[in-house]
Amino acid sequence: MTPFAKAYRHYIKNTQQCDNYFGFDIRRLASVEPFLQFLYTDWWRVQFTGLETLPKEGPCLIVGNSNGLIPWPAFMLMYALMSQDNPRRLTIVADMDWIEDERVHSYLLQLGFVPWSSTNLKYLFSKGEVVAIFPECLPASSKPFSERYRVREFDWTRLLPAIEEGTAIYPMATIGCDEASPTLVNLDSLAKFLGIPAYPVTPFFPWFPFPANLATLPVKWKMSVLKPTAYEAHSNRDTLEDTAKSQSRFVEGQIQAELNRLLRTRIKTFI
Amino acid sequence: MAAWTNLKTLGLIDPLKALEKRNPSYFSRYTGLDDEFGYKLETFARWEPIFRFCYEDYFKVDCRGIENIPEQGRAILVGNHSGLLPLDGAMITIGMCNAHKSPRRVRYLVTDWFFTLPGVGNWIQETGQVRGTLENAQKLLEREELVGVYPEGLRGVGKAFPERYRLLDFHPGFVQLAIATQTKIIPVATVGGDEIFPNFVNLKAVGRLLKMPFFPITPSFPWMPFPHMFIPLPVRWLINIHKPIDLGYPPEKANDRKLVLKIAREIQYDIQRDLNKLLRERKSLFTGWEPDEL
Repeated sequence: MTPFAKAYRHYIKNTQQCDNYFGFDIRRLASVEPFLQFLYTDWWRVQFTGLETLPKEGPCLIVGNSNGLIPWPAFMLMYALMSQDNPRRLTIVADMDWIEDERVHSYLLQLGFVPWSSTNLKYLFSKGEVVAIFPECLPASSKPFSERYRVREFDWTRLLPAIEEGTAIYPMATIGCDEASPTLVNLDSLAKFLGIPAYPVTPFFPWFPFPANLATLPVKWKMSVLKPTAYEAHSNRDTLEDTAKSQSRFVEGQIQAELNRLLRTRIKTFI
Repeated sequence: MAAWTNLKTLGLIDPLKALEKRNPSYFSRYTGLDDEFGYKLETFARWEPIFRFCYEDYFKVDCRGIENIPEQGRAILVGNHSGLLPLDGAMITIGMCNAHKSPRRVRYLVTDWFFTLPGVGNWIQETGQVRGTLENAQKLLEREELVGVYPEGLRGVGKAFPERYRLLDFHPGFVQLAIATQTKIIPVATVGGDEIFPNFVNLKAVGRLLKMPFFPITPSFPWMPFPHMFIPLPVRWLINIHKPIDLGYPPEKANDRKLVLKIAREIQYDIQRDLNKLLRERKSLFTGWEPDEL
């Protein structure tokens, strides 16, 4: 019995019945798990509140704020869901079309990422999965440091499948991520030349040789999942879109308000 | 370089005449009115040039969407509170007096603390503000006035500099009032106010001792000799007035606390979203927004 199987017995039991249509591979997750654990408990010391509000089983959608090209909040949420009392698998639905390297693409698929499409999202809901989306989309990856913890406008179409299916939407706010890898400058022209959505210059990024340029600062993270807001499920297409628009605005506001609240109560950035 | 023409009527003995000449429609609308809340047109006319100087030459306020405020009838203006001295209310009052098609006065609801200061309470009432109670607000709305509310309250004014343009949770009383009196709500987003007095430290103990809501330390505040400590930084302002929101609920719904709270949150989130957008578009603190890009 490997240490992973020993520590995550319940997680493995819960994910055995899940379907691996998109290429989820638990061995790949087991290989990065020590690294995630180090980041979660030692490097960023994530303080997670509100995990118990998530349902024990059945589909749900978690909506969060994001920054940067590497979705660290998503990984931290994945680890938090994995190591809690009732471990569940997290699927992250994100824009992956810009990743041209097939090795990176398949690596992310094996970890539980799924390319964005409303059909994929609905399929995951029908299988009763926990899905996380970051509806600020790619513009959030070029957010400068001066705009830290200011949520960009959400793409409301990302929430449309959940509204159609009537899935509960849980807003999640993360502080720490914007200071862990501060974007000093974003080189737009270089990003266009390389065909990537953003080229953020951080204190580490282009300067150091490969593994060291992904380094982050040991900021104290706080993440909190809020209660879902009820909305009326409609069958009419027109009202459905209006509901999705207003719901996405409301969720965006809830996340921003929670960020403001967390920032106001924070005394030190690193402790 | 600032223009000083706005200040040239200051030395006149009769400021009313200057107001009548400059702004006849405002003058004829409010002259000779007996106001139970203590509004005096003469005091307003005396102080208006100073704030007009701030509006036009010092802060160079860019006031967008002022046509959304109705020419007649009641409405509630809801905004984000900012600055240690509540100059944001004054700037909207000046905008309504000078930039609107049919100039009107805005009656702001003010906390009790200002009325404990000697001299200030009277001055506040004479320039059009009202002590913030529910009865006063209802009376004002019955008289078809424009009522201004800052639902963040005093906590919003004393925001620390790193927390600028981060709204505190709105007190939902204004929504209750709007539903009960069937009034439209106009959200207002103000950018610039939070940076005029950068509040770095808040000495709560000293504030408690002096019976002030907070005791801020700014680059100028307790250090400089008397009038200089109240001089704000010349930050470029932008006031964005949104379209009026007609809530469309019957007056009985005013006691539905869940609904009232949800509407208050929606309005708060709208203002916060607009602030985030305007801050993203701003080039720098002192030059503001480039008009051709807007």
